Amino acid sequence: MDTAKWAKRSASILGLLGVWFVVGALGPQTLPGPAAVAGAFVGYVGSPVYWNAITLSTLRVLGAFTIAALIGVPLGLLIGWSVVFGDFTYPALELVRPIPPIAWIPFTILVLPSLAFSLGIASFEIDTGIVFITFLGAFFPILLNAIAGVRSIDDEYSRAAQSLGAADWQTFRHVIYPGALPSVHTGMVVGMGLAWVNLVAAEMISGGGLGFMTWSAYTGGSYPVIFVGMITIGILGYVSSTIVRYIGASQLPWMEGSTA
Amino acid sequence: MSTRERVLGIDRRQLLGREVPLPPRALRWATSVVGFFVLWWAAVEYSFLNFGLFVGPVETLVAIYGYVLGDPVAGGSQSIYIHAAYSTYRVVAGVSIAALLAIPLGLLIGTSTRAGAGIEWNNYLSPAVESLRPIPPVAWVPASILLFPVVPVVGFSVNTAVLFVVFIGAFFPILVNTIEGVRNLDDEFRRAAQSLGASDRQVFRHVIFPSALPSILTGVSLGIGLGWITVVAAEIVAGNYGLGYITFQAYRLLQTDIIAVGMVVIGALGYASSAIVQRIANRAMPWSDIDT
Amino acid sequence: MSKQESNPERRSQNRNQDTNGYEDMENGHRDLDEDDGRARATGEALVEIDDLTKIYDPDGAHVTAVENMDLEIGDNEFVCVLGPSGCGKSTVMECIAGYLEPTEGEVLINGDPVDGPDPSRGVVFQSNRLFPWKTIGQNARFGPQMRNAVDDDRIRELLEETGLSGFEDSYPHELSGGMQQRAELVRLLANDPDIMLMDEPFSGLDAMTKELMQEMLLDIWEEEDRTVLFITHDVAEAIFLADRVVVMTARPGQIKDVIDVDIDRPRDSSVLTSEAFNEYQKRANELIHDEAERAMEQKQQETQEA
Ligand SMILES: Nc1ncnc2c1ncn2[C@@H]1O[C@H](COP(=O)(O)OP(=O)(O)O)[C@@H](O)[C@H]1O
Ligand SMILES: [Mg+2]
Repeated sequence: MDTAKWAKRSASILGLLGVWFVVGALGPQTLPGPAAVAGAFVGYVGSPVYWNAITLSTLRVLGAFTIAALIGVPLGLLIGWSVVFGDFTYPALELVRPIPPIAWIPFTILVLPSLAFSLGIASFEIDTGIVFITFLGAFFPILLNAIAGVRSIDDEYSRAAQSLGAADWQTFRHVIYPGALPSVHTGMVVGMGLAWVNLVAAEMISGGGLGFMTWSAYTGGSYPVIFVGMITIGILGYVSSTIVRYIGASQLPWMEGSTA
Repeated sequence: MSTRERVLGIDRRQLLGREVPLPPRALRWATSVVGFFVLWWAAVEYSFLNFGLFVGPVETLVAIYGYVLGDPVAGGSQSIYIHAAYSTYRVVAGVSIAALLAIPLGLLIGTSTRAGAGIEWNNYLSPAVESLRPIPPVAWVPASILLFPVVPVVGFSVNTAVLFVVFIGAFFPILVNTIEGVRNLDDEFRRAAQSLGASDRQVFRHVIFPSALPSILTGVSLGIGLGWITVVAAEIVAGNYGLGYITFQAYRLLQTDIIAVGMVVIGALGYASSAIVQRIANRAMPWSDIDT
Repeated sequence: MSKQESNPERRSQNRNQDTNGYEDMENGHRDLDEDDGRARATGEALVEIDDLTKIYDPDGAHVTAVENMDLEIGDNEFVCVLGPSGCGKSTVMECIAGYLEPTEGEVLINGDPVDGPDPSRGVVFQSNRLFPWKTIGQNARFGPQMRNAVDDDRIRELLEETGLSGFEDSYPHELSGGMQQRAELVRLLANDPDIMLMDEPFSGLDAMTKELMQEMLLDIWEEEDRTVLFITHDVAEAIFLADRVVVMTARPGQIKDVIDVDIDRPRDSSVLTSEAFNEYQKRANELIHDEAERAMEQKQQETQEA
């Protein structure tokens, strides 16, 4: 039973590779087949260019995502909790929200400076534009889900806490924050995905990291490397979402259907 | 008295020990919006970061006025309407093709997940699909420029590379939500329909599909959102027309007003398209009230 | 018995922690009837509802939920409010709890007008409102924890009394409906309120569980001095539990009649088959039947208008 299922699932992956192989062999000259890509992969795994690109992209996503969470979660909880605070802040954010982060790229290149600093022997240069675009990608899903999370909490939970003697900040700490957490978690998972989408676009356009590696493989004519880049980005995106999911689940042992 | 009317635990009328009347809602909203424009203006006026290189809100409004009257943008001869039309058509076409493929595929995978449902399509299809899903749609841009040509069709140039990237962007959200929509149906609805004499086809038509519809439309709505993200990215890199293309072209030519106008127009169109989807969703499902 | 002796001390300790001026409650209004082993209603009003009117005004609609209601509830009294659904029962309770401000009139506790929720007035909600993100133990400790006055022995005692020991580390969704309702009761009792406001707390339970819960509630009430306002649309439940049953009219909610239930305490389920019980039930049924019909018509009309 189980082996049959695994056979079918492996057939699925093999089928995908088979289609790629056939299209690569019969299709346009420019499309490398799986073998060529695997060859390029082997070559790249030993090269520092590859690992530098991975490190740079990962650090950018990590940094931008962390900032987005640190700002988006408290801000969203407050907007959801206090109508008045929300009225003063949310409309301004709503003006900016519909603009896809990628459309900010020309603006960020113009307006945001690069930050260069050195720590002893190592010196860093942070492309704040790329970090900002990545941040925007993660920020709005996290913000919106935090707001929605608070609004989804039935008022009676707050009432119950108040009747048990909780002060406002205690209600926030014991009802609003934990009650919104499942939704915040959803926002983080979505935000992590969108952080990668926007990071790749920003890197293709303004440089560095896996996005640029993939793009310059195209402009430089080493086509198999395009697919090395895509696959690597896919794996990293998958791994980071899985980590976010895992951390989220460990914070939500009380959810129905949770295994923790 | 409700918690929601308090700010940070401060009773609203007792700010700084004095009775402060709370401004009405519309005024609070207006303050927020005006505050945004004032901040923007001040950042440009006082050259915060490199904002001095950018345009302020007033210049942007003036520029929008000019382009709305049909001034050509970004060194070309086309008006902004042409570029907006290109981007919109790409989103609509890309998302439509994605929906046409993803919805049936999602229904197939979703319904075959149940035990005893005939061929286990989910086992044959899901792994292949799932292995492609983590690749962000924008990462497909170089590969699709490589593989998909610009095709002239009756005087228009159809950039199939951009279309493909938009398609990829919209495909996975629609697929995933369709599968979820089918899987979340409580089995007892199906049993109820069967006991009332419905055939398999009728169960699908009257129970499975309508119950998955809210989730499907949520997926389409997400797909359109990602469609706008990807179209801008693809146009910046690979476009010859479109709003993404002109915003970046404007940056090259240092026409900062067009950068701002482009952002405004992209935002407005994105906003309008999600509003339209919401409308359609409400129309299509009077019995449900989903938030897309 | 020993619990009862230690009780007043703990109570005043707890009270000193909060600032709402209920310290004087200990002095004036309690009057232990030693023969009975528990406090009886003294006739002095603890809760005084004075000409209460509540009008809801959501976007222009004008719903008078409660109109000119007068009611006094004595110290240690068990009062049930009985009425058809939609007649304004919850609204009355929410005004006493301090969630809503009356449109007209006022609610006095011990002579002072209600100003927001307070731990001396505990609430049990119609749908279970245990915090799903806290374990049963954490839920039970919640009230005392807010004042940094957790008494672990007391919590353990309460959990044991309600058959919940061993479930301290479970989350609410892992428990059955009846257990959840007991846990919510524990959470309330751990906070030691003077007044318990209960809004159809057992309406979601199956008939057998419900009966057991009612008996448990009476046990708890008879053991310690508390005033209970219990809302229900179940005639038998009201009579089984209450000293007085306040029957409400359909909306706008007014008091139609008050039934004094003179059935000996302690009561258990054998009361349900007694002659006296049947008489009371018949009377209450007659009172409420027309109101229920009117409430149903109102509901239908509203649905048509919407
Ligand atoms: N927030 C509100 N806004 C408008 N109408 C309300 C609101 N709350 C309750 N009502 C209306 O007031 C009436 C009384 O409600 P409620 O006190 O909840 O009744 P009960 O608890 O007896 O069922 C109902 O008709 C209800 O529709
Ligand atoms: Mg009610």
